[in-house]
Order: sequence, then structure tokens, then C-alpha cells
Amino acid sequence: MAADDQAPAGQPVHYVEVDEQLCNGCVLCMKACPMKAIRLRDNVARIEGVCIDCMECARVCPQGAIRGVSSADVPLGDRTGDAVCPSTVLYSQFGEDHLPNDVLLGLRRMGFRYPFDQSYTAELYEFAIELFIREQREIEDPPFPLISAVCPAVVQIIACRFPSLLRHIPPLATPREIVTREAKRRLSAKHNRPPEEVEVLHVVPCPALMIRETSQANRDRAVGINAVYEDLKKAMQEIEEDRVLHYSGGVGLGWGISGGEIAGIRAKSIAVSGVHETIRYLERVEMGLLDHIEFLECRICKEGCVGGPFTVADRYQTKQLVQKYVRMFGEERRVKQHYLRKIYQEGWFQAERQVLPIRTEKIDLTIAERIEQQKRVESILKALPQKHCGMCGSPDCRTFAEDVVAGKARMKDCAQLKQYEGKEIVT
Amino acid sequence: MPLLERRFTVKANDFVKAGEVSIEVQGILKKIGFDPALIRRVSICAYEAEMNVVMHGGDGEMLLRVEPERIDLECRDRGGGIEDIELALQPGYSTAKPEHQEMGFGAGMGLPNIKKNASSLDVDSRKGGGTRLTMRFEVGDGGG
Repeated sequence: MAADDQAPAGQPVHYVEVDEQLCNGCVLCMKACPMKAIRLRDNVARIEGVCIDCMECARVCPQGAIRGVSSADVPLGDRTGDAVCPSTVLYSQFGEDHLPNDVLLGLRRMGFRYPFDQSYTAELYEFAIELFIREQREIEDPPFPLISAVCPAVVQIIACRFPSLLRHIPPLATPREIVTREAKRRLSAKHNRPPEEVEVLHVVPCPALMIRETSQANRDRAVGINAVYEDLKKAMQEIEEDRVLHYSGGVGLGWGISGGEIAGIRAKSIAVSGVHETIRYLERVEMGLLDHIEFLECRICKEGCVGGPFTVADRYQTKQLVQKYVRMFGEERRVKQHYLRKIYQEGWFQAERQVLPIRTEKIDLTIAERIEQQKRVESILKALPQKHCGMCGSPDCRTFAEDVVAGKARMKDCAQLKQYEGKEIVT
Repeated sequence: MPLLERRFTVKANDFVKAGEVSIEVQGILKKIGFDPALIRRVSICAYEAEMNVVMHGGDGEMLLRVEPERIDLECRDRGGGIEDIELALQPGYSTAKPEHQEMGFGAGMGLPNIKKNASSLDVDSRKGGGTRLTMRFEVGDGGG
């Protein structure tokens, strides 16, 4: 997410919450967290580190104690004046009898007078990315592979764990950013209001796409697909008007599934999905093993955004439906290439965001001090039983050792160590 | 001067775990906070050395020594050894098996790549007697 969206303390806002009443203090979420951000304190899971909203924790919680939260309730009152920008994943939630245009008309029936289609801006974006890649081919030491900024959780992982890869993120607006900007521009002209007063409601498949509203000047909000699903389903039965709101070809509709973004980009590209695979590939990029790839699409959810935690329909059935839409609407581009090249040159696609590294430690230490610190971690680790049981409150023995060195845990918190009492412990 | 030492074992023909050691090396150096360009050079070398052991080396081990001013990597294996070290250092020269080449390895760039990225490289090997690579990286030397 954009750096200016983050809380000033350096900790990004996140949209995952633990219900302390429901949490029974088991270790599953803590172990599932790819960022090692969860600790157990007084038998309750707490998110203490950088949370990227991937929801791996919620997926494994047997108590249902972890959930994603919205940055808005579905506005039930006046919905008329402002824009609604659904993720293309919404199009695939209602089975094959409902085409993308029906979903947009259904939103109008619900009372959102101005639905904006994101599959079309996805095709604009793909054109821009392709031009950008071509430019990069001409420069010395290009930042290949470029890494898609479309999944905000991926951007968070890079900012936090792979800051050296920030230069691989193309400085172009994502389809969502483009559609937001366009919606504001058009509605502000139509209603003669300043663009910042036009509110945009996003309908999203995951908490990572929640607008991070803390320091944002605009009034944009987001709700999960599951929050509008029932009302929208009902509204779609009552559509009376006949108008075209969906303009894209098949490629723009394919975005919800893994590989959908690169499908329309003519470059050497690969698509990776799932949070652990994503991290593994970012490690490989950092080691220079993927320099021969020009574009890397990563999605934190397995199979892509159709696997998002706020979706309703089954991800594999949805995937089939999306593929069917792609075939049905065809693979050719419907955007006007000549005009797009002109506005690209004029900077129309430039991103407003600039992603900055997220620092997780506050204290500045010298290299020598950090080496000492790592030595202490290693010597503590040697004393630990290496059972990775999580009973200490940290996800594994190494992280526990790091927590001890950082003063966030004490050796006596280790439940297993007591069994070793009387034996010699080397520290 | 503070000195951190870590020892890792590398298993021959284990393509599932291949690359894990270099990722771990990379992780340690990132935690310490070295310059990303230096970390990249060290991890490329660690990866190439690790893959050499996996493909040709028999079992082996990697030793990482970290000091504020330098990083040393030593990779030892009990494999067949290198017959002609001069030749092995030539880009494109490879004795990899066809099945490794099918997996995208064995382009003959391993040792040349290490030579390019390390501040210094010493290859100690005899046919039939295993191989020891000693790589040094001086902090702030800007490249190998």
C-alpha cells in the first residue's frame, strides 16, 4: 500500500482482527502467519508485527476468532451521488447465468447509480505496462523482473522484507487506482464538485484491498464482496433497465485468477500465487535468479483473487467461470492503442503512490552490534529443545530466541525447557 | 571483533531442498543489515556453490563466517572433485548431466559467476578427492 496511507508509527494499518472472547489461545494462527507477526500473550493471539492482511491466520483458526474487517459498512442510506468500483472478482460470484454487465446493473438496482467497471481499466493498465517494459529493455541494468503492485499484500511484503526490490515495482497506477481516479474525475465534472469530495466505494475480495483510511485525505471506503452478496443477488433478479456498463474484452475479465494479469502482457512473464510461494519467489528475485523474466505477477491468495477471504463462491468453480468469460469475450484488446500511447507519454498512467520501506525495528544498531545480536540468538537457540511447540508465545524456537534477545520474551517462557532442568544448558 | 559462524549441511541430489542454504545465508545477512548489493553477491555465490554440491558434489557443507568488515563462505564436498580447475573456471564449460541441464542447471556459469561476484575465490580440488571453495567478500569493495 502507499506509504502515505500508513500510520505514522511506521506500523501499517491492517484490517484483520482477533476476537479475544473467541480466541482460545491455540498456536495455529501464530504458526500460519508468514510474517511471524502473531504472538500469544496471556493465552490470546495478538498481532504485534507487520500484518499484510493475507488472512492465513483466519483460514486456519478453528474458533473462527479472526476475521477481516471492512473500512466501511455497506451504506444503506443515500448511495446515489458516489461511485462504486467493484473488483472484477465480483462478476464471477453468481454463476454463469449472470454476465459482468448484469452485476453492474444489479449494483445500480441496489441504489449505486454510478458503477465503474474495472476490467476495462485492467486492459488500459496492461497496455501501459507493456510500453513500460519495452522502455526498460532499452536501459542498462533494467529492474527485471518488474513485480506487479496489484496485490497490496505483495507490496507490503516487499516493503517490509525485501526493500531492495522496491525498485522492481513499476511506477504505474494499478487498474484500481486508475478506475478510482477516473470515477472521481467524471463524477466531479458531472456534479460540479471537487474530485476529493467524490466518494468511491470499492467492493473487494480481501482485507488487503481495504482502503487504508487513517491518513488519507479522500473519503474512499471499501467493503467485502460477502457484505454486498445477498442484496446484490436479490437486486439482480429485479433488473429492469437495459444498458451497457461493461466494455472490456476477455483479458480484462481474467484478472481474478492467477495468471490473469500477465495473460494480456506481451513479455516474458510468470505468475505465482499463494503467500509462501510468493515469498519464495521474491527471495529468488533478490538472489538474481529470475533476471531473465521481465514481469512477475504475484498474488497472495492461492489461485489469485478468486481465492480471496471475502469471496462467497468456491475459488475453483469461480476460476472455471472466469476462464469461460475470457473465451466468451475474446482475447483481443478493445482499447484504442494510438490514443493510449499518447496519454502514456503524457504521464497519464503515473502512480501517485510511492512505496517506501517499512522498518520493523526502531533501534539503530551498528553492523558489529547486530552480529553480536545474531550470535546471542544462535547461542539461545542451541539451548532450546527445537520442538517449535509455540507454547512460549512465539511461533518457533528461532523467533523465540530473537524475541528473547529483543527483550520481548524471557527464557522461562519456554515450556519445554523445564523438562531439561538439571541438564547442562549451553548459552 | 564480533564473529558469527554458521554451518549448514548440503545434500547431494536433493533438488527439493536445493537453494535452502543460500536462502538461509541471505536471511542472516539481511538481519544483520549489510548493503543489499553485497548480500546479493554473497547469496548468488552461496547458491552457485550449493547447486554445485547438489549436482556433482556428493554430500557437503557450507560454512558462513560473518565479521563487520568481511564475509567468508567455505563450501566443502566429498564429491568427485574437479579434473581441470582452469577449464572449470571458463564460462560455459560444464560437466553437468543432461537431466540437470533439462532442469535448467548446468550452463557452465557456476564457478565463473562465483569468481565474478566474490572479492576472492580459492578452488582446492583434486580428481576423486572432493572440492573446497573458499570465497571472501570484503565489505565496501563494490564488486568482485
